[in-house]
Amino acid sequence: MGLRSYIVTRILLTIPTLLLLLSMVFLIMRVLPGDPVALHFEKKADPETMEAMRHILGLDKPLWAQYMDYIWGLVDIRYFMEHGYPNLGKSMQTFEDVGGQIFSAFPATLELAIYSMIIASVIGILLGVISSKSYNSILDHLIRGSGTVTYAVPVFFLGIIFQLIFGVYLGWLPTGQRIGPNVSPPATITGLYTIDSLLEGNFFKFFESLKALVLPSLTLGIILSGIFVRLTRTNMLETLRLDFVTAAKARGLKESTVTYGYALRNAFLPILTMMGLQFAMLLGGAILTETTFSWRGLGRYLVERINFRDYTAIQGAVVMFGLFVILVSLVVDILYAYFDPRIRL
Amino acid sequence: MPLLIKRRKLKMEKVELAIVVLVLIGIMVSSGTMYYTATGLSNLISEVSRLREALEEKIAAIEASLIVGTTDSVELTLDPAQAYDYFGWCILQQIGDTLVVVKPGSLTGTDFDPELATSWNSSTDLKTWDFNLRQGVVLPDGKTFNATYVKYSIDRAIALIPSIPEGAPAGLGFDAVINRTEVLSTYRVRFHLDIPFSPFLGFLACRASAIVDPKYAPIEQVNHTAGDVRASTPVAFLGPYVLSKWDRVAGRDVEIRLDVNPNYWNLASGYPKLKHIVFRFYSDATTLRLAIGAGDVDMAFRHITPTDVLNLQTSPNVKVWWGAGVQIQYLCFQEKRAPFNDRRVRVAVAAALNRTSVSETVFLGLAKPLYSIIPIGMLGHTEAFKRLGDANYTLTRSLLAEAGYNAGNKLKFDFWYESSGHYPMSAEQALLYKEALEASGVIEVTLKNADWASYKKNRDSEIMDAFIYGWYPDYVDPDDYSFLYWAKWLHLNYSNATQTALYDQARAITNTTLREKLYAQIDDIAVEQCSVVPIWVGGAWAVTKPTVYGIYMDITTDMRYWLISK
Repeated sequence: MGLRSYIVTRILLTIPTLLLLLSMVFLIMRVLPGDPVALHFEKKADPETMEAMRHILGLDKPLWAQYMDYIWGLVDIRYFMEHGYPNLGKSMQTFEDVGGQIFSAFPATLELAIYSMIIASVIGILLGVISSKSYNSILDHLIRGSGTVTYAVPVFFLGIIFQLIFGVYLGWLPTGQRIGPNVSPPATITGLYTIDSLLEGNFFKFFESLKALVLPSLTLGIILSGIFVRLTRTNMLETLRLDFVTAAKARGLKESTVTYGYALRNAFLPILTMMGLQFAMLLGGAILTETTFSWRGLGRYLVERINFRDYTAIQGAVVMFGLFVILVSLVVDILYAYFDPRIRL
Repeated sequence: MPLLIKRRKLKMEKVELAIVVLVLIGIMVSSGTMYYTATGLSNLISEVSRLREALEEKIAAIEASLIVGTTDSVELTLDPAQAYDYFGWCILQQIGDTLVVVKPGSLTGTDFDPELATSWNSSTDLKTWDFNLRQGVVLPDGKTFNATYVKYSIDRAIALIPSIPEGAPAGLGFDAVINRTEVLSTYRVRFHLDIPFSPFLGFLACRASAIVDPKYAPIEQVNHTAGDVRASTPVAFLGPYVLSKWDRVAGRDVEIRLDVNPNYWNLASGYPKLKHIVFRFYSDATTLRLAIGAGDVDMAFRHITPTDVLNLQTSPNVKVWWGAGVQIQYLCFQEKRAPFNDRRVRVAVAAALNRTSVSETVFLGLAKPLYSIIPIGMLGHTEAFKRLGDANYTLTRSLLAEAGYNAGNKLKFDFWYESSGHYPMSAEQALLYKEALEASGVIEVTLKNADWASYKKNRDSEIMDAFIYGWYPDYVDPDDYSFLYWAKWLHLNYSNATQTALYDQARAITNTTLREKLYAQIDDIAVEQCSVVPIWVGGAWAVTKPTVYGIYMDITTDMRYWLISK
């Protein structure tokens, strides 16, 4: 199978996957206890008022009609062209556009995911390589041990420790939020504050948003790095034993060239897969990190909406989450297939 | 030419070329320097002074600003016809204005200051209320406030009730109280009520009665959140501040900025004290506590936990402000079936509760035991439920023995609490309730919990034997508490004609002594019936930097930001 056919097949497979996911979420939400209508009222909850709200929310229609409405909204091309995102319906709690809500939260999650992934990859891969190079030494044990420890530490614990040290005691960095407390966010272009402040030409805002990013991304990055340390070390150990590495060394190539230019490149494929999966998970929202650092992203959004039984918002968030996972997996698969043609066989 | 000479020549050419390039660079640099020296120096100086001015301006702006950290968020909207949440009302209070307001520092919540009305009077039957309006109040578009604005605002609130059933006017029952609003003259307005209603001033002081600007508040509901601040804010900017920025991400606020209203009618008196109020939003109490601890915000208000606030009280870097609370919690019994269809069983369980233990252990003394459904300090508050005592197991055992329960045949029931954080520390409270009840030796409690959505569903389905519920008032008056004993929406299947008659009588008179007596009578019946048992009333607190002044934390629990200075 050629690379193009492979990509087309993989893309086509995403459609039934998404549809299955959507149908499951749609049904599960409606069998959960709790009623989004009742949550709107306290005093005035007489049957007529409740029915009026049920009608406003479209919950008085049969289940199949609600489902078809939802699917129809999703494939509404005109809406998509007009808004730049699919029609995911209106929130049952805030009456706002769910697509708009999700896409307003997504850049925060994306920005955190990108910086965390960079930190996790750099720390993880570097330490993994060093560990494999000094196999069975004290350094190797130390790195392996620290990798396990960081992966096991709860994110909120490490986050609060960082906040206390760097925010409260030293006062170097803000304890939370996406930009310093005295600074207004930059005008939204991409939604990524570091990029938008640069596009605005405002270096002060850039540094303020970067400062705000340090603690959450470092927390998440350090915790995620553990998995990369172990994966890199294992794969590097296997690769370093292969004949081509011995041959490269025999030809007199420099140690660093052999390690990073030959061995790491070959050991990289499983690491790439893991990076993809972790990144997709982060896009779904690093819920605890977002809560610890008052970071308004998709994770917190989803948790809040679940508490409100906001069916449309939950459906929308889960579908978007599913879509992110599928897209990232697709990209990883394509890269994998590109690097290793055996996959396409 | 020999190769050596050729190379040397080439080398010489390179050296010459380098010299030429260096000379050219030198000329460019020197001419550039000369240019800047000659013509650009003044520009440079003016640029530096501009930067200095900008910096000074920024420092002045920070000094004139109050940065407030909170875990709250506007729930839906800032439209008085729809907003029905604490923080939405809080922002509305800063940017909007009502005819009257509760006097800052009020102990009872029933003393009012004039705001957009300068004076008022009511007919003896309390069904007709006249208000003289303040003159010379200007809206942002230059128009002058008058009686038509009042009529429009109230008419609109009532007209929107069918399409916004979840809104405050619907919840408060505007349509059941107000018959019509009449413009008597440019600055005089009359309200005709359907019932005699003594708490009417409290009604008009709440944010559902805020004056709206017809230009931005059509009778059809507007798109109330995203987008342009003006277009999305139907309230007329008659308050001390205008809403200059309101950023929301995924249905929650990320930044709200209030700037001084240049047309504010009370500007000459020096209000608001600070030019800017900036709200920063934190995800939970822990992050908010860290933010005030780190000095990221000037003030933290709602919600710092009792543990944290007591800890912060000892810190020299912050100041804690204490105030009265109006949030109450009470125990409800389902009377549709056994065991709580028996009055003796309800009273027995009420007598076994230990309010002090909950107040001291869970809330570290920051919530007070409550012995009336009306909070401490408010008109009509009594200590009626003290008659049953706390952990009064003698009474519990004797009443349960009458009902056929004893140590061998214990009273068994499910005790429900909310588990998703809607109420503070519910699980901890529930454990203490269970412990206190079971210490009687004749009660066996099974603790059950549900998240808020399921909890409300369970309440409506009437499946919970006994459950904890809370209340936060719409207006500070016993009228908004006393009815909880028989509130239909609690689905307790309890009603009492005498209590409702006393309640109607109390809302139809203004004489406070008489009203107090009537509410006391309602409480007396409540103690006998124990349909609902009051447990505690919460406290209120704010934490600020030591340089912040002017915080009034009275029984309204409103935060009047225009009175704050630093």
